[in-house]
Amino acid sequence: MKKTILRNVAIVTAIFIVTLSVMLITNFFQVRGTTPLQAEVVETLKQLNDANSNNPELQEQIRQLDLMTRKAYFIRYDHLMAGLYILLGMLAVFIVCVRLYFARDKNIPDKELDPIDEWAIKTQARKYVTWGAAGIAAIALLFVILTSPYLQTEASEADEPEVVADAVTDTYTSEPVVAGDELVVATEPAVVSSEGTGENAETAVVAQPETVIQQPIVSSVTHNAFRGNNSNGISSARGVPVKWDLSNGTNIAWKQEVPREGLNSPVINGNRIFFSGADAEARELYCYDLTTGERLWTLAATNIPGSPSQMPETQHGTGLAASSVATNGTQVCAIFATGDIICADMNGNRLWAKNLGVPDNHYGYASSLLTYGNTVIVQYDNSTAPRVMAFDLATGNERWSRNRTERVTWSSPIIATVNNTPQLVLMGNPSISGYNPNTGEQLWRVECLTGEVGASACSANGIVFGASEYSKLVAINAADGSLLWESNEYLPEASSPVATNTTLYVATSYGVLASYDVQTGELKKEHELAAELWSSPMIVDGKLFMMTNDGKMHIYSADDEFRLIDSFETGERTLSTPAFTDGKIVIRTENSIYCVTAS
Amino acid sequence: MKKKLFIGLSLLLNGVAYAQNRFPKPDFESGYEYPDITYPIPNESLWVTLDIILLVVLMGIVAWAALKKRTRKPIIWVSIISVAYFGFFRSGCICSIGSIQNISLALVDNSYILPVSVLLFFILPIVFAFLFGRVFCAGVCPFGALQELVNVKNYRLSKAVTTVLGMIPWIYLIFAILYAVTRSSFIICRFDPFIGIFRLGGDIGMIAFGTLLLIASIFIGRPFCRFICPYGALLSLFSRVSIWKVEITPKQCINCDLCHDACPVDAIKPPYENKVKESRQQGVKRVLIYFVVLPLMVIAGAFLTRSVSGELSRANKDVRLYDMVMEHEVNPQDVLSLELEAFYGQGSSIEELTEKQEAIQAEFKFYSTIAGALIGLVVGFALIGLSLKRTRKQYEIDHAACVACGRCFSYCPQNKIGIESGNISL
Amino acid sequence: MEKRDEHKKSPIARRKFLKALGTAVAGGSILAVSGGLIGRVKGAEADHYWQIDPAKCTQCGRCETHCVLPVSAVKCIHANKVCGYCDLCGGYYRTNARELNTAAENMMCPTGAIERKFVEDPYFEYTINEDLCNGCGKCVKGCGSFGNGSLYLQIKRDLCTDCNECKIATVCPADAITRVPLTWAYKLKD
Repeated sequence: MKKTILRNVAIVTAIFIVTLSVMLITNFFQVRGTTPLQAEVVETLKQLNDANSNNPELQEQIRQLDLMTRKAYFIRYDHLMAGLYILLGMLAVFIVCVRLYFARDKNIPDKELDPIDEWAIKTQARKYVTWGAAGIAAIALLFVILTSPYLQTEASEADEPEVVADAVTDTYTSEPVVAGDELVVATEPAVVSSEGTGENAETAVVAQPETVIQQPIVSSVTHNAFRGNNSNGISSARGVPVKWDLSNGTNIAWKQEVPREGLNSPVINGNRIFFSGADAEARELYCYDLTTGERLWTLAATNIPGSPSQMPETQHGTGLAASSVATNGTQVCAIFATGDIICADMNGNRLWAKNLGVPDNHYGYASSLLTYGNTVIVQYDNSTAPRVMAFDLATGNERWSRNRTERVTWSSPIIATVNNTPQLVLMGNPSISGYNPNTGEQLWRVECLTGEVGASACSANGIVFGASEYSKLVAINAADGSLLWESNEYLPEASSPVATNTTLYVATSYGVLASYDVQTGELKKEHELAAELWSSPMIVDGKLFMMTNDGKMHIYSADDEFRLIDSFETGERTLSTPAFTDGKIVIRTENSIYCVTAS
Repeated sequence: MKKKLFIGLSLLLNGVAYAQNRFPKPDFESGYEYPDITYPIPNESLWVTLDIILLVVLMGIVAWAALKKRTRKPIIWVSIISVAYFGFFRSGCICSIGSIQNISLALVDNSYILPVSVLLFFILPIVFAFLFGRVFCAGVCPFGALQELVNVKNYRLSKAVTTVLGMIPWIYLIFAILYAVTRSSFIICRFDPFIGIFRLGGDIGMIAFGTLLLIASIFIGRPFCRFICPYGALLSLFSRVSIWKVEITPKQCINCDLCHDACPVDAIKPPYENKVKESRQQGVKRVLIYFVVLPLMVIAGAFLTRSVSGELSRANKDVRLYDMVMEHEVNPQDVLSLELEAFYGQGSSIEELTEKQEAIQAEFKFYSTIAGALIGLVVGFALIGLSLKRTRKQYEIDHAACVACGRCFSYCPQNKIGIESGNISL
Repeated sequence: MEKRDEHKKSPIARRKFLKALGTAVAGGSILAVSGGLIGRVKGAEADHYWQIDPAKCTQCGRCETHCVLPVSAVKCIHANKVCGYCDLCGGYYRTNARELNTAAENMMCPTGAIERKFVEDPYFEYTINEDLCNGCGKCVKGCGSFGNGSLYLQIKRDLCTDCNECKIATVCPADAITRVPLTWAYKLKD
């Protein structure tokens, strides 16, 4: 009788336990799935709401859903806990019943599984152990062989050709160009093979222009920062125009008014042009289409915590947007004299923004940004807390930061290539110094400059050149930080020098262009332009392009001869440095931006 | 301690530096006062003291019940108390099984802080095992107790299979120590099947595994203790040579086989005669061969684990981070994982990380060589043990396997009628 | 004859000897290990507890999902003395909140665990309702990038089970969770 009761209780509790367990397991996964944070629908709606203008219906929907997920989360959680306690209680009852039920049955021995003879068991066990150990050893051995470095190198070699093929097909696309640090030499469009005689070749040639119209061909040559990639004043662009005129429209592809003023220079990546503008009302980052000149988007630097409500005092010659923007083909960053730095993706979506503290700078902050890999480097030499920082472009997290002992400067960072390793070179008062751009570790430091340092350094062949007005011009071996030579004949004020493997070119603010031998520092040649200049010279396609403030373009041969090729009026006063890509130049004047294209 | 203090101090400094005062402290005019917030700090030391006292008392009760009183009832009660207190109520750490890791880390790392409670949790069950056998396993360990309580019927597994499965705890123990001394992971804690049940939450995979083990232990005696528990393996070393133990007195034994049948852990060995005929010479030869092969196994084990030490070291967080960073340096355009974001965000240098990674790899190389040698040794000893032939004329207790659950007492007809069937022998 | 007797007896004698030897070795090793470690152990001062270093924390959100407890022992803690008592609170409102009200689309906290109380113009006091907080760290991130960083995540000692190996620590990307002495608990930011 008692046994029957026990048995029945056990059966009932067992059914109960199984049902409850199934319910609890479902509940558990639902709770995990509906933590309020993971309610993706709500989150997406909220983002939609952020993007849209005031939409009461959408807001109502969000509120309803939010309430529902919260309720679901807390109620389910309570149910889960209550269910677990009930389950435990039931289990205890079940176990007690089953134990009591079987309590009397203990005297029935099981049938012996094993052979009676222990030696037979041991023999069998020995066999199992041997096989088990051999199996594990074999697996380990297999693993060793599979992960051996010899096999892996072979595998990676096999993978490589594919990667190269991808890179080639990517060379001409409408997508932004994400280039490495090395200069990408533009590959000519595939030449139709001469084998295909007659119709084949003809159709191919005919077909090409059509695709050109549909999808503008974009050069892989980028101009990612102030004075080109790595800020060295050299571009690998080819076929750039050598003559244009705004007054009669010769070679001018398009011209647009600039929404807000700024002395920064445009940058080019793929089919996009970026630059910034600012005044007391707003500080904005612009993106223009290289082919059409159409403004693709504008991103205002607003809602940045810590951003000052009062604009810092700046000289008119500097303004609030003197720093050029920088991009890596995936993100673009801009910084303003307020210390606000903003970063957007290629479509103008704001990724992050922060205020670095209003820089204490009596003319106004002017150092340009520089991208290195997926970081952006900010030289922040001001009177209170001079430092250099690298931020992750995607997230805005600080990768590294180094305090500096320099005084306030207006110079911009560059990347020099020394023994095939990139070095970050900063110029300031009183020193020029090299850093590891990955870690911010200082590699060398040479104290050589004084006064207000406005120009930036340049580098060629492992030698770094730096100069500042009323100070001197120096050449430093960036491998060890040793001073090679110095000179003080012609010194730049705002314009930065540029160097080839043999010659260094320096432009003074009063309009003298001088060339020096890079090894000895010997003055080779000088030109008197008799005009004020702030823009920096650029070496493109074997020519040196020099814009003077009056809007006159001077083109020289960038060789030992250093002769004037041409000199012409462009039509508008220009202070910034032009940007180059294959067949095109983008120039920002005081009030407009225009694109010159080769005829 | 000095080091820890330094770390603590630097934490405090960091904390202060971290607070960014973008907005000044408000000047309240309405006489507002900052709320005084204190956070609860439970009285840990009281509970820990109670834990230790209870541990000793419960083990004492089991020892008294098993050796002196020869009855199972108190052991069941101890099991219930242990599951309720150590299991569900205390639910946290430390437990004796996990303490192996803390102890081994403390043995190799002088800077590691070892609380006295951890040492006691580790050493007391061993001392008791040395004196009275595995009384800790009987019902004081909440894991053993839980399996004991749910066990209803014992279906026997093939002895050959249980012998092989019985080697798992040793290998598990070796790996647990390897990962503990390299500060990589406490795998015993991470792969603990029952703690999730006691806490009513945790890793769903491990809870499922624990539930399966519990269901299995309704029909099979203590699967966790026999085939997984590394601490049980350690205790069996000491209980094998324990000072006081239960023995079956041959004269009183009536060879009824009931105790053998009742034992959930196969600790009672029945008498047998050699039926399989094998010449003595052949047996001796086999043992000798195994003794010769033993060093080879040790070397092979050492070599193999040394070769895979690179892979084994990937369980270490810094090594994984290093791999991620290296991968990222190759493809800097890839989306940053949370780890990389934190790494770059903190401005840590790659050189430092490389140094750390190299140190850990070297450690792994060294310790995994030892671990591999030990695994070879375990396999070798198992084989030698299995080749020793002995004739047994009466029932004997395998003290290494016996967990002092006390089941056999009630089954023994001689014990029941008041005659001492066992004998405490020195 | 005598010799055979001896031969017969010897296995038992040998076994006894081995057993005694084993006992001695086992006892000796217990003494050795405990002797070696007894000098190393610390009493109450050795008690260390898992705590988060707010300076390292990146608010990755794993505290919420990886704690062994059904609801994480990590909660948001508010250091009032660091707080700016702002109206536009980066931990309370979403980044692009259109209006400063408690409508769902403007709130940062997914569980509504932050309560705010008007103190005086223009200051508001914020408190965390720990029963609702699930330790996701969204508000901490908001406060860190927009405010004084007065909100931070910390492991509540009364909820934490003091696992031998903290499961969140094993997945923490910033290694922010370590065992610290009791004296440092909670005190990191006030």
